Amino acid sequence: MIEIDARGLRCPQPIIELGKKIDELKSGDELFLYSDDPATEPDLNAWARMTGNKFSKIENAKFLITKI
Amino acid sequence: MVRVTGNFQSESPLHPKAFEVLHAAFDNGWANPGKLSQSGSKANQVRNQALESIAAALKVPVDSIFAFSSMSLGYYLGIQGLLKDSLTLVHGATDRKDVFAIASRTSHQVLPSALDGKLISPSQKSPNSVLALSAANAETGVIQECEAIIRSVNTDRIFLDATAIGIRGQITPNYSTAIFDSRSWYGPSEIGLLVIKDKSQWSNPLPHLNAAHPNFDASLPLLLASAVALENFSSEVEDANKRAREFNWQLRDYFAHIPDVDIAGSLDSSLAHLLSASFMNCNGEELLRAIQSDGFSVDSGSACTADNLEPSHVLAAMGVLTHGNIRITIHPETTQEEIDSLKSSIKKNVERLRS
Repeated sequence: MIEIDARGLRCPQPIIELGKKIDELKSGDELFLYSDDPATEPDLNAWARMTGNKFSKIENAKFLITKI
Repeated sequence: MVRVTGNFQSESPLHPKAFEVLHAAFDNGWANPGKLSQSGSKANQVRNQALESIAAALKVPVDSIFAFSSMSLGYYLGIQGLLKDSLTLVHGATDRKDVFAIASRTSHQVLPSALDGKLISPSQKSPNSVLALSAANAETGVIQECEAIIRSVNTDRIFLDATAIGIRGQITPNYSTAIFDSRSWYGPSEIGLLVIKDKSQWSNPLPHLNAAHPNFDASLPLLLASAVALENFSSEVEDANKRAREFNWQLRDYFAHIPDVDIAGSLDSSLAHLLSASFMNCNGEELLRAIQSDGFSVDSGSACTADNLEPSHVLAAMGVLTHGNIRITIHPETTQEEIDSLKSSIKKNVERLRS
Protein backbone atom coordinates (compact mmCIF):
# COMPACT_ATOMS: atom_id res chain seq x y z
CA MET A 1 0.00 0.00 0.00
CA ILE A 2 1.32 3.43 -0.94
CA GLU A 3 1.74 5.80 1.98
CA ILE A 4 2.14 9.55 1.89
CA ASP A 5 3.64 10.96 5.06
CA ALA A 6 2.63 14.62 5.09
CA ARG A 7 2.90 15.04 8.86
CA GLY A 8 4.38 18.39 9.71
CA LEU A 9 3.37 19.89 6.36
CA ARG A 10 0.91 22.78 6.36
CA CYS A 11 -2.00 23.30 3.98
CA PRO A 12 -2.19 22.98 1.03
CA GLN A 13 0.91 20.75 0.84
CA PRO A 14 -0.78 17.50 2.01
CA ILE A 15 -3.46 17.86 -0.70
CA ILE A 16 -0.84 18.77 -3.31
CA GLU A 17 1.20 15.66 -2.40
CA LEU A 18 -1.97 13.57 -2.59
CA GLY A 19 -2.81 15.07 -5.99
CA LYS A 20 0.58 14.07 -7.36
CA LYS A 21 0.25 10.45 -6.22
CA ILE A 22 -3.39 9.89 -7.08
CA ASP A 23 -2.66 10.37 -10.79
CA GLU A 24 -0.35 7.35 -10.67
CA LEU A 25 -3.08 5.07 -9.30
CA LYS A 26 -5.63 2.91 -11.10
CA SER A 27 -9.33 2.91 -10.32
CA GLY A 28 -9.93 1.01 -7.06
CA ASP A 29 -6.37 1.50 -5.77
CA GLU A 30 -5.96 2.77 -2.23
CA LEU A 31 -3.33 4.73 -0.33
CA PHE A 32 -2.81 6.02 3.18
CA LEU A 33 -2.35 9.73 3.75
CA TYR A 34 -0.81 10.78 7.05
CA SER A 35 -1.41 14.44 7.87
CA ASP A 36 -1.71 16.32 11.15
CA ASP A 37 -2.63 19.64 9.57
CA PRO A 38 -6.05 20.81 10.87
CA ALA A 39 -7.12 21.83 7.36
CA THR A 40 -6.55 18.38 5.84
CA GLU A 41 -9.78 16.70 6.97
CA PRO A 42 -12.14 19.47 5.81
CA ASP A 43 -10.11 19.81 2.62
CA LEU A 44 -10.31 16.07 1.93
CA ASN A 45 -14.11 16.44 2.03
CA ALA A 46 -13.95 19.09 -0.68
CA TRP A 47 -11.18 17.30 -2.59
CA ALA A 48 -13.21 14.07 -2.74
CA ARG A 49 -16.29 15.94 -3.97
CA MET A 50 -14.33 17.87 -6.60
CA THR A 51 -12.22 14.97 -7.91
CA GLY A 52 -14.75 12.15 -7.52
CA ASN A 53 -12.38 10.08 -5.33
CA LYS A 54 -13.18 8.79 -1.83
CA PHE A 55 -11.59 9.06 1.59
CA SER A 56 -12.24 7.81 5.08
CA LYS A 57 -10.61 8.72 8.36
CA ILE A 58 -8.90 5.69 9.89
CA GLU A 59 -7.60 7.37 13.01
CA ASN A 60 -6.25 10.73 14.05
CA ALA A 61 -3.98 12.05 11.28
CA LYS A 62 -4.46 8.90 9.12
CA PHE A 63 -6.75 8.79 6.09
CA LEU A 64 -7.53 6.02 3.59
CA ILE A 65 -7.85 7.35 0.05
CA THR A 66 -9.56 5.35 -2.70
CA LYS A 67 -9.11 6.26 -6.35
CA ILE A 68 -12.40 6.02 -8.23
CA MET B 1 5.82 48.87 -2.17
CA VAL B 2 3.02 48.36 -4.70
CA ARG B 3 0.22 50.87 -4.39
CA VAL B 4 -3.12 49.22 -3.69
CA THR B 5 -5.44 50.41 -6.44
CA GLY B 6 -8.28 48.02 -5.80
CA ASN B 7 -9.64 47.43 -2.32
CA PHE B 8 -11.56 44.16 -2.20
CA GLN B 9 -11.12 43.64 1.54
CA SER B 10 -14.03 43.73 3.96
CA GLU B 11 -12.58 46.83 5.62
CA SER B 12 -13.40 49.95 3.72
CA PRO B 13 -13.06 53.69 4.13
CA LEU B 14 -15.82 55.51 5.97
CA HIS B 15 -18.67 56.89 3.94
CA PRO B 16 -17.42 60.38 2.94
CA LYS B 17 -20.39 62.08 4.67
CA ALA B 18 -19.67 60.13 7.87
CA PHE B 19 -16.06 61.18 7.72
CA GLU B 20 -17.09 64.84 7.54
CA VAL B 21 -19.29 64.45 10.63
CA LEU B 22 -16.60 62.58 12.55
CA HIS B 23 -14.03 65.19 11.66
CA ALA B 24 -16.31 68.04 12.78
CA ALA B 25 -17.20 66.24 16.03
CA PHE B 26 -13.58 65.72 16.97
CA ASP B 27 -12.82 69.32 15.98
CA ASN B 28 -15.58 70.80 18.12
CA GLY B 29 -15.50 68.36 21.02
CA TRP B 30 -18.57 66.95 22.71
CA ALA B 31 -20.04 66.81 26.17
CA ASN B 32 -21.23 63.81 28.16
CA PRO B 33 -24.89 63.29 27.14
CA GLY B 34 -25.56 61.97 30.65
CA LYS B 35 -24.74 65.29 32.34
CA LEU B 36 -27.33 67.94 33.12
CA SER B 37 -25.24 70.86 31.91
CA GLN B 38 -26.32 72.88 28.87
CA SER B 39 -23.65 71.25 26.70
CA GLY B 40 -24.60 67.85 28.12
CA SER B 41 -28.27 68.40 27.24
CA LYS B 42 -27.31 69.44 23.74
CA ALA B 43 -25.14 66.35 23.35
CA ASN B 44 -28.03 64.21 24.59
CA GLN B 45 -30.36 65.83 22.06
CA VAL B 46 -27.91 65.14 19.24
CA ARG B 47 -27.51 61.55 20.46
CA ASN B 48 -31.29 61.03 20.48
CA GLN B 49 -31.57 62.46 16.96
CA ALA B 50 -28.90 60.04 15.78
CA LEU B 51 -30.75 57.10 17.36
CA GLU B 52 -34.04 58.27 15.82
CA SER B 53 -32.41 58.45 12.41
CA ILE B 54 -30.92 54.96 12.79
CA ALA B 55 -34.18 53.53 14.10
CA ALA B 56 -36.09 55.00 11.14
CA ALA B 57 -33.62 53.52 8.64
CA LEU B 58 -33.76 50.11 10.34
CA LYS B 59 -37.55 50.39 10.62
CA VAL B 60 -37.63 49.73 14.38
CA PRO B 61 -39.04 51.81 17.26
CA VAL B 62 -36.47 54.22 18.66
CA ASP B 63 -37.00 53.01 22.22
CA SER B 64 -35.95 49.48 21.16
CA ILE B 65 -32.51 50.46 19.93
CA PHE B 66 -29.26 50.72 21.90
CA ALA B 67 -25.74 51.49 20.74
CA PHE B 68 -22.74 49.49 21.92
CA SER B 69 -19.03 49.80 21.33
CA SER B 70 -17.69 46.33 20.57
CA MET B 71 -19.18 43.64 18.36
CA SER B 72 -18.28 40.86 20.80
CA LEU B 73 -20.21 42.75 23.47
CA GLY B 74 -23.15 43.00 21.09
CA TYR B 75 -23.30 39.22 20.63
CA TYR B 76 -23.14 38.75 24.39
CA LEU B 77 -25.89 41.28 25.08
CA GLY B 78 -28.15 39.97 22.34
CA ILE B 79 -27.80 36.26 23.14
CA GLN B 80 -27.03 36.10 26.85
CA GLY B 81 -29.85 38.56 27.57
CA LEU B 82 -32.33 35.98 26.23
CA LEU B 83 -30.77 32.93 27.89
CA LYS B 84 -32.10 31.54 31.13
CA ASP B 85 -30.61 28.64 33.07
CA SER B 86 -32.85 25.95 31.65
CA LEU B 87 -32.62 27.03 28.02
CA THR B 88 -30.43 25.49 25.30
CA LEU B 89 -28.68 27.72 22.80
CA VAL B 90 -29.33 26.52 19.24
CA HIS B 91 -27.05 28.07 16.64
CA GLY B 92 -25.54 27.49 13.22
CA ALA B 93 -22.20 25.86 12.35
CA THR B 94 -21.37 28.88 10.21
CA ASP B 95 -22.04 31.47 12.92
CA ARG B 96 -19.42 33.91 14.13
CA LYS B 97 -16.88 32.69 16.68
CA ASP B 98 -18.47 35.04 19.23
CA VAL B 99 -21.58 32.84 19.16
CA PHE B 100 -19.49 29.69 19.65
CA ALA B 101 -17.78 31.36 22.61
CA ILE B 102 -21.13 32.05 24.30
CA ALA B 103 -22.40 28.54 23.45
CA SER B 104 -19.31 26.94 25.00
CA ARG B 105 -20.50 28.12 28.41
CA THR B 106 -24.00 26.71 28.18
CA SER B 107 -26.06 23.78 26.92
CA HIS B 108 -26.07 24.09 23.15
CA GLN B 109 -26.95 22.46 19.83
CA VAL B 110 -25.21 23.25 16.55
CA LEU B 111 -27.20 23.19 13.31
CA PRO B 112 -24.97 21.79 10.53
CA SER B 113 -24.54 23.48 7.19
CA ALA B 114 -25.25 22.06 3.76
CA LEU B 115 -22.77 22.56 0.92
CA ASP B 116 -24.69 25.62 -0.26
CA GLY B 117 -24.17 27.28 3.14
CA LYS B 118 -27.81 26.94 4.21
CA LEU B 119 -28.30 25.56 7.72
CA ILE B 120 -30.02 22.22 8.00
CA SER B 121 -33.14 22.49 10.13
CA PRO B 122 -33.29 20.20 13.18
CA SER B 123 -35.57 17.17 13.00
CA GLN B 124 -36.98 17.92 16.45
CA LYS B 125 -38.40 21.18 17.74
CA SER B 126 -36.64 22.87 20.67
CA PRO B 127 -39.22 25.14 22.33
CA ASN B 128 -37.02 25.48 25.42
CA SER B 129 -34.21 27.15 23.58
CA VAL B 130 -32.75 30.40 22.38
CA LEU B 131 -32.13 30.36 18.64
CA ALA B 132 -29.13 32.39 17.47
CA LEU B 133 -29.46 32.89 13.76
CA SER B 134 -27.29 34.75 11.30
CA ALA B 135 -29.35 36.43 8.56
CA ALA B 136 -26.36 36.25 6.20
CA ASN B 137 -22.82 35.02 6.51
CA ALA B 138 -20.05 37.62 6.58
CA GLU B 139 -17.52 35.37 4.81
CA THR B 140 -19.55 33.81 2.03
CA GLY B 141 -22.53 36.14 1.84
CA VAL B 142 -24.94 33.18 1.97
CA ILE B 143 -28.38 34.33 3.11
CA GLN B 144 -30.17 31.97 5.48
CA GLU B 145 -33.77 30.88 5.10
CA CYS B 146 -34.57 32.25 8.54
CA GLU B 147 -38.31 31.64 8.58
CA ALA B 148 -37.90 27.91 7.87
CA ILE B 149 -35.31 27.52 10.63
CA ILE B 150 -37.39 29.51 13.10
CA ARG B 151 -40.41 27.27 12.36
CA SER B 152 -38.35 24.11 12.77
CA VAL B 153 -36.80 25.15 16.10
CA ASN B 154 -40.12 26.58 17.29
CA THR B 155 -38.89 28.91 20.02
CA ASP B 156 -40.03 32.46 20.61
CA ARG B 157 -36.58 33.56 21.82
CA ILE B 158 -34.62 34.44 18.72
CA PHE B 159 -31.38 36.36 18.38
CA LEU B 160 -30.73 37.62 14.86
CA ASP B 161 -27.22 38.45 13.71
CA ALA B 162 -27.78 41.14 11.09
CA THR B 163 -24.18 42.37 11.13
CA ALA B 164 -23.39 41.17 7.61
CA ILE B 165 -26.71 41.86 5.91
CA GLY B 166 -27.24 45.31 7.43
CA ILE B 167 -29.66 47.07 5.09
CA ARG B 168 -28.55 45.14 1.99
CA GLY B 169 -31.48 42.74 2.17
CA GLN B 170 -34.73 41.89 3.91
CA ILE B 171 -34.52 40.42 7.40
CA THR B 172 -37.11 38.40 9.21
CA PRO B 173 -39.28 40.47 11.57
CA ASN B 174 -39.56 37.45 13.87
CA TYR B 175 -36.73 38.10 16.26
CA SER B 176 -36.43 39.00 19.94
CA THR B 177 -33.06 40.72 19.74
CA ALA B 178 -30.91 41.66 16.77
CA ILE B 179 -27.55 43.29 16.26
CA PHE B 180 -26.29 45.42 13.39
CA ASP B 181 -22.72 46.46 12.57
CA SER B 182 -22.18 50.07 11.54
CA ARG B 183 -19.51 48.94 9.06
CA SER B 184 -22.17 47.21 6.95
CA TRP B 185 -23.38 50.66 5.85
CA TYR B 186 -19.88 52.18 5.71
CA GLY B 187 -20.09 53.71 9.16
CA PRO B 188 -17.22 53.57 11.64
CA SER B 189 -16.02 50.34 13.20
CA GLU B 190 -16.44 49.55 16.89
CA ILE B 191 -20.05 50.64 16.92
CA GLY B 192 -23.04 48.37 16.71
CA LEU B 193 -26.75 48.59 17.34
CA LEU B 194 -28.74 46.24 19.53
CA VAL B 195 -32.48 46.03 18.89
CA ILE B 196 -34.59 44.60 21.71
CA LYS B 197 -38.07 43.96 20.39
CA ASP B 198 -39.67 42.60 23.53
CA LYS B 199 -38.07 43.87 26.71
CA SER B 200 -39.98 41.31 28.79
CA GLN B 201 -37.88 38.54 27.18
CA TRP B 202 -34.55 40.24 27.72
CA SER B 203 -32.59 40.99 30.86
CA ASN B 204 -29.31 42.86 30.91
CA PRO B 205 -26.60 40.20 31.38
CA LEU B 206 -24.02 42.77 32.51
CA PRO B 207 -23.69 43.65 36.19
CA HIS B 208 -25.89 46.69 36.76
CA LEU B 209 -27.61 48.66 39.53
CA ASN B 210 -30.43 50.30 37.62
CA ALA B 211 -32.31 48.16 35.09
CA ALA B 212 -33.83 51.28 33.50
CA HIS B 213 -30.41 52.55 32.38
CA PRO B 214 -28.33 50.18 30.23
CA ASN B 215 -24.71 50.28 31.34
CA PHE B 216 -23.35 50.04 27.81
CA ASP B 217 -23.14 52.79 25.24
CA ALA B 218 -21.06 54.00 22.33
CA SER B 219 -18.97 57.07 21.63
CA LEU B 220 -21.17 59.99 20.56
CA PRO B 221 -19.06 61.02 17.52
CA LEU B 222 -19.03 57.43 16.26
CA LEU B 223 -22.79 57.20 16.74
CA LEU B 224 -23.35 60.43 14.78
CA ALA B 225 -21.04 59.26 11.99
CA SER B 226 -22.83 55.91 11.90
CA ALA B 227 -26.24 57.60 11.65
CA VAL B 228 -25.06 59.83 8.79
CA ALA B 229 -23.46 56.89 6.96
CA LEU B 230 -26.67 54.88 7.31
CA GLU B 231 -28.86 57.75 6.14
CA ASN B 232 -26.71 58.20 3.03
CA PHE B 233 -26.15 54.52 2.27
CA SER B 234 -29.91 53.91 2.54
CA SER B 235 -30.37 55.95 -0.62
CA GLU B 236 -27.41 54.28 -2.35
CA VAL B 237 -27.86 50.64 -1.36
CA GLU B 238 -30.14 49.66 -4.24
CA ASP B 239 -27.64 50.86 -6.85
CA ALA B 240 -24.73 49.42 -4.86
CA ASN B 241 -26.40 45.99 -4.76
CA LYS B 242 -27.21 46.12 -8.47
CA ARG B 243 -23.64 46.96 -9.46
CA ALA B 244 -22.20 44.43 -7.02
CA ARG B 245 -24.46 41.69 -8.41
CA GLU B 246 -23.27 42.38 -11.96
CA PHE B 247 -19.59 42.35 -10.87
CA ASN B 248 -20.09 39.26 -8.71
CA TRP B 249 -21.68 37.43 -11.64
CA GLN B 250 -18.74 38.41 -13.88
CA LEU B 251 -16.24 37.07 -11.33
CA ARG B 252 -18.13 33.80 -10.84
CA ASP B 253 -18.48 33.30 -14.58
CA TYR B 254 -14.76 33.93 -15.06
CA PHE B 255 -13.70 31.65 -12.20
CA ALA B 256 -15.89 28.85 -13.57
CA HIS B 257 -13.43 28.59 -16.47
CA ILE B 258 -10.45 28.05 -14.14
CA PRO B 259 -10.02 24.33 -13.29
CA ASP B 260 -10.54 23.08 -9.72
CA VAL B 261 -12.16 26.14 -8.21
CA ASP B 262 -14.70 25.86 -5.39
CA ILE B 263 -17.05 28.81 -4.96
CA ALA B 264 -19.00 29.07 -1.71
CA GLY B 265 -22.74 29.43 -2.20
CA SER B 266 -24.72 30.61 -5.20
CA LEU B 267 -25.21 34.23 -6.19
CA ASP B 268 -29.00 33.85 -6.16
CA SER B 269 -29.01 33.21 -2.43
CA SER B 270 -26.09 35.37 -1.33
CA LEU B 271 -25.30 38.98 -0.61
CA ALA B 272 -24.21 40.45 -3.92
CA HIS B 273 -21.11 42.21 -2.63
CA LEU B 274 -19.39 39.12 -1.18
CA LEU B 275 -17.64 36.24 -2.93
CA SER B 276 -15.51 33.44 -1.51
CA ALA B 277 -13.57 31.23 -3.93
CA SER B 278 -10.98 28.52 -3.26
CA PHE B 279 -8.41 27.36 -5.81
CA MET B 280 -7.21 23.81 -5.28
CA ASN B 281 -3.46 23.25 -4.95
CA CYS B 282 -2.78 26.94 -4.30
CA ASN B 283 -1.39 28.32 -1.06
CA GLY B 284 -3.84 30.97 0.21
CA GLU B 285 -1.14 33.18 1.67
CA GLU B 286 0.99 33.08 -1.47
CA LEU B 287 -2.05 33.78 -3.64
CA LEU B 288 -3.10 36.69 -1.45
CA ARG B 289 0.40 38.20 -1.57
CA ALA B 290 0.72 37.69 -5.32
CA ILE B 291 -2.60 39.43 -5.92
CA GLN B 292 -1.50 42.18 -3.54
CA SER B 293 1.70 42.68 -5.52
CA ASP B 294 -0.54 43.40 -8.52
CA GLY B 295 -2.20 46.16 -6.48
CA PHE B 296 -5.29 44.40 -5.14
CA SER B 297 -6.12 43.69 -1.51
CA VAL B 298 -8.41 40.76 -0.76
CA ASP B 299 -9.16 38.66 2.34
CA SER B 300 -8.64 34.93 2.84
CA GLY B 301 -10.16 32.18 4.98
CA SER B 302 -7.25 29.79 4.49
CA ALA B 303 -5.45 28.43 7.54
CA CYS B 304 -2.09 29.73 6.39
CA THR B 305 -3.43 33.30 6.53
CA ALA B 306 -4.95 33.00 10.02
CA ASP B 307 -3.22 33.82 13.29
CA ASN B 308 -4.14 30.44 14.79
CA LEU B 309 -3.36 28.47 11.59
CA GLU B 310 -6.92 27.07 11.69
CA PRO B 311 -8.92 27.06 8.45
CA SER B 312 -12.13 29.06 8.22
CA HIS B 313 -14.73 27.23 10.29
CA VAL B 314 -17.38 28.54 7.87
CA LEU B 315 -15.81 26.92 4.80
CA ALA B 316 -15.07 23.75 6.78
CA ALA B 317 -18.69 23.53 7.99
CA MET B 318 -19.96 23.94 4.43
CA GLY B 319 -17.52 21.36 3.07
CA VAL B 320 -15.93 23.93 0.76
CA LEU B 321 -12.20 23.78 0.07
CA THR B 322 -10.43 25.82 2.74
CA HIS B 323 -7.01 26.19 1.14
CA GLY B 324 -6.24 28.59 -1.70
CA ASN B 325 -9.14 30.72 -0.53
CA ILE B 326 -9.73 34.38 -1.32
CA ARG B 327 -12.63 36.52 -0.18
CA ILE B 328 -13.67 39.43 -2.34
CA THR B 329 -15.77 42.33 -1.11
CA ILE B 330 -17.23 44.55 -3.82
CA HIS B 331 -17.63 48.12 -2.61
CA PRO B 332 -19.85 50.85 -4.08
CA GLU B 333 -16.79 52.58 -5.55
CA THR B 334 -15.48 49.40 -7.24
CA THR B 335 -15.05 49.96 -10.99
CA GLN B 336 -15.35 47.69 -14.01
CA GLU B 337 -11.67 48.29 -14.73
CA GLU B 338 -10.73 47.05 -11.24
CA ILE B 339 -12.87 43.92 -11.66
CA ASP B 340 -11.28 43.14 -15.04
CA SER B 341 -7.76 43.64 -13.66
CA LEU B 342 -8.52 41.58 -10.55
CA LYS B 343 -9.81 38.70 -12.66
CA SER B 344 -6.64 38.69 -14.75
CA SER B 345 -4.44 38.91 -11.67
CA ILE B 346 -6.16 35.96 -9.98
CA LYS B 347 -6.03 33.73 -13.08
CA LYS B 348 -2.38 34.57 -13.76
CA ASN B 349 -1.31 33.93 -10.17
CA VAL B 350 -3.35 30.73 -9.73
CA GLU B 351 -1.74 29.30 -12.87
CA ARG B 352 1.74 30.36 -11.71
CA LEU B 353 1.33 28.92 -8.21
CA ARG B 354 0.04 25.63 -9.60
CA SER B 355 2.88 25.21 -12.09
